[in-house]
Amino acid sequence: MKKMLSVLLAVMLMMSLLAVPALAEDQVLTVVTWDATTTPYLIAQKDAFEASHPGVTIEYVDVASQDYAVKATTMLEGGDTSDIFMIKEIDNLINWQAQGFAAPLDTNGYDMSGFVGTEVNYAVDGVQYAIPFRSDFWVLFYNKDLFDAAGVELPTNDMTWDQYAELAKKMTDKDKGIYGTHYHTWLSAVVNWAVCDGVNTLADKNYDDLLYFYKLYQDLEDSGACMSYADLKAAGLHYSAAFANGNIAMLPMGYWYVSTLIGYNQDGTCNFNWGITAVPHAEGVAAGSSFGNLTGAMINAKSEKKDLAWEYISWLGGVEGAKATASVGARPAWVSEEVAASMSSVEGFPADETSKGALLPAAVAMEWPVAEKVADIKTIVNEEHSMIMAREITPEEGIEEMNERVAELFE
Amino acid sequence: MSQSEVRKVRYRMGKLERKNTLVAYSFLAPNFIGFAVFTLVPVICAIALSLFEWNGGDISKLKFVGLDNYATIFATKKVAEKGLAYFFNRADLGIALKNTVYYTVVTVPLTIICALALALLLNKIRGAVFFRTVFFFPYVSSMVAICVCWSFMLMKDGPVNQIIMALGINFNKGWTADSTMAIWSIILVSVWRNMGYYMVLYLAALQGIPRELMEAATVDGANKWQQFWHVTLPQLKPTTFFVSVMMVISCFKIYDVVAIMTDGGPGRATKMLVTYIYDEAFIKVRYGQASAISMVLLVIVLLVTIIQFGSEKKFSND
Repeated sequence: MKKMLSVLLAVMLMMSLLAVPALAEDQVLTVVTWDATTTPYLIAQKDAFEASHPGVTIEYVDVASQDYAVKATTMLEGGDTSDIFMIKEIDNLINWQAQGFAAPLDTNGYDMSGFVGTEVNYAVDGVQYAIPFRSDFWVLFYNKDLFDAAGVELPTNDMTWDQYAELAKKMTDKDKGIYGTHYHTWLSAVVNWAVCDGVNTLADKNYDDLLYFYKLYQDLEDSGACMSYADLKAAGLHYSAAFANGNIAMLPMGYWYVSTLIGYNQDGTCNFNWGITAVPHAEGVAAGSSFGNLTGAMINAKSEKKDLAWEYISWLGGVEGAKATASVGARPAWVSEEVAASMSSVEGFPADETSKGALLPAAVAMEWPVAEKVADIKTIVNEEHSMIMAREITPEEGIEEMNERVAELFE
Repeated sequence: MSQSEVRKVRYRMGKLERKNTLVAYSFLAPNFIGFAVFTLVPVICAIALSLFEWNGGDISKLKFVGLDNYATIFATKKVAEKGLAYFFNRADLGIALKNTVYYTVVTVPLTIICALALALLLNKIRGAVFFRTVFFFPYVSSMVAICVCWSFMLMKDGPVNQIIMALGINFNKGWTADSTMAIWSIILVSVWRNMGYYMVLYLAALQGIPRELMEAATVDGANKWQQFWHVTLPQLKPTTFFVSVMMVISCFKIYDVVAIMTDGGPGRATKMLVTYIYDEAFIKVRYGQASAISMVLLVIVLLVTIIQFGSEKKFSND
C-alpha cells in the first residue's frame, strides 16, 4: 500500500513538471476589472490587444462595479496573483500603493505626453504606479427630438448655469410628463461643478462654494423641472434608464454615458436623436471647463508576469490602446487629434458640430483630489449632501455642518 | 488504598473510558473545528487587532497603538472638552450606538407583540395552515427583494402614504428620505419579516400548554382575558425569554435592511453599529479601528445577554 502511494506521488510530481513548459507557450494575463461583459471598451481593448499580440490571451476577472473597491482590496489582501488590477478611483491606487500591492513602473522611455499631465495622479513620490487609459469628464446630454418638438433652441457649448436652469424650465411640460433636466443622486451630479474653476476642490475644507449649486438644484426641483431626489432614492432609478425613457430634455452626466447611449440606439432600447454639449459654466469660469475622473491599470506586486503585464498596460494607455477604447465611444486618457477624430467617427456618435466641439474641453479638474483624509471627507460631505437633498436641513445648514465636521477631522 | 493504588485502579478503568472519550471527541470535532477556525480564532484576532493600526496589506505594517483606536472612536478628546452630549450628537460611534439601541428597543417588543398576537389568532381558527404559511412567507423570502418592494411602497406617492393620506394625516414625504421616518421604515420591515418566524415558535409553545390548566381556569370562572393573562402568558415565559434573547442579539447586528434601504442615511439617521464597522473596515480600510468598534458591539451584546440570563429565573416556569 505504502509503496503504491509513493509511486503514485512520484508520477504526479513528474507530471506536474512536464506540464510547466506546455503552459509557457500560451500566455494568459488576468485583468481584474468591473462589468467586463457589459462594458464595450473592455471588449474592444481585449480584441485589439489579442489581435496584435498572438499567443497572449486577456482574461477578465469580473467584479460588480459598485463593489469594486471593496472586492478588489479583499482580493489583494488575500494574496491574489492576478496580473493587472484596473483602478476605478484614484484613492484606491493611493491605498493599494501604501499597502504594497502596486508594482512600481519603469516609465523610462515611455511617452506620456498624450496624458496631458493627468498621469501624475497615479504617481507617488515621483514614481509611477499606474497608467491611465480612460479619462472621463462630464458633459451635458440632451434629447434633440424633445427640443425640436418644443421649438426651443438647442443648448450650446457656452452656457452659464443660470441660462441652463432657464432652459430646463422652458423645456418642462408637466402635462406631457416631460422634465427639463435630470439630476442623478450623486454628489458629483449636483454640486461637483464648483471644482470646475480649477481652484476649489472638494477637500479644501471650505464648502461655501457649493451653496449656489444646491440653490439652483432646489429651485429646479421646486418648479418641477426635474424629478425629486427622494423619489429617485426610493425607486433606485438609474440615470441611464431615466434618460433612455425619452421624457428628459437634458442630463449632466459623465462622458461614459456616450457609449451606453450608442449601444441603446443600436439595440433599440431608445430611438431618439441626442447630442452633447460642454457642461454649463459659472460666471467668470471659462466655457468648456469640466471635471472628471481617471481610469487606469496597475500591475499587481504579486504578479509573476510583470513584463507581459507592462507590455499590456503601456499598450492600453498609448495610441493603439486609445484607438481601441475610442472605437466604441469611450474617451481614452491619451488626447490627440487622431484619437479625437476616431472618437467622433464612431457609428452612432452625433454628427453635429456642437457635439464634436464638446469633445475638447477647455480644462478638466479632478472630481476628488488626492488629499489627506479624503475618504473621511467623502463620507462627511456625502452624509450632509443626502440631508440637504432630502430637505432635512437647508443648504446653508448643511454646508455649515460640512465646514465644521471637516475642520474637526484635522484638529 | 494508598494513592498509587487509586491511580492504578483508575488507569485500569481508563482504557475503555479513554476509548469512549475519544469517540465522543471525534463526534464533537467537526463542529468544534468549524467553530474554532471560523469564530474563535477571528474573535481573538479582532481583539488583538483593535490595539493595532493596520490598513491592510503586508502584516509587517501592523503598528501597535494601544488604546488609541478606542480613544478615536469614543472621541475622548472632544468629549473631555465639550461634554458627553458631543459623543451622542456628533461622534459617529455615539450616533450609531443611539440609532442601534433605539432600533432594538422598539423592534424587540413590537415583534414579540405581533408574533404573539398572530400565534393566538392562528392557534385555532379555520384555515390556520393557510394563514400560517402566509405569515411565515416573508421569513423565507429574499431580503433584497423584500427591501426593494418596501422601498417602493414607502415612496412619497407610494401606497403606504396614500393610505395615510386617506386617513386624513398629512404626510407627504418618502419614508426612507426622511430622517425621522427612515429608522421607522427599517423597524417596519424588520418586524414584518421576522414576526412570522417567531409566530411559529409561539404556536409551538401554545400547543404545549396543558389543556387541564385551561379547563381548570374555566371551571374557576375565569374569562378569556383572565385565562390569557394568568394561564397562557405565564406558560409562554420560556419562549418569550428565548425569543427576546435571540432578537436582541440579532437587532444589534442589523445590517442588511439598512444597507439596502437607506445606506445609513439620510445623513447619519440610520447609521448602525455594523454599518459603521463596514464603513471603517472596507471603505476607509482601517481594520484596527473597525475591530475596536466590533469590540464595543461584542461587549454590549455580552452585557445584555448576561443581564437577560441573570433574570432567567423570573422567566422559567417553575
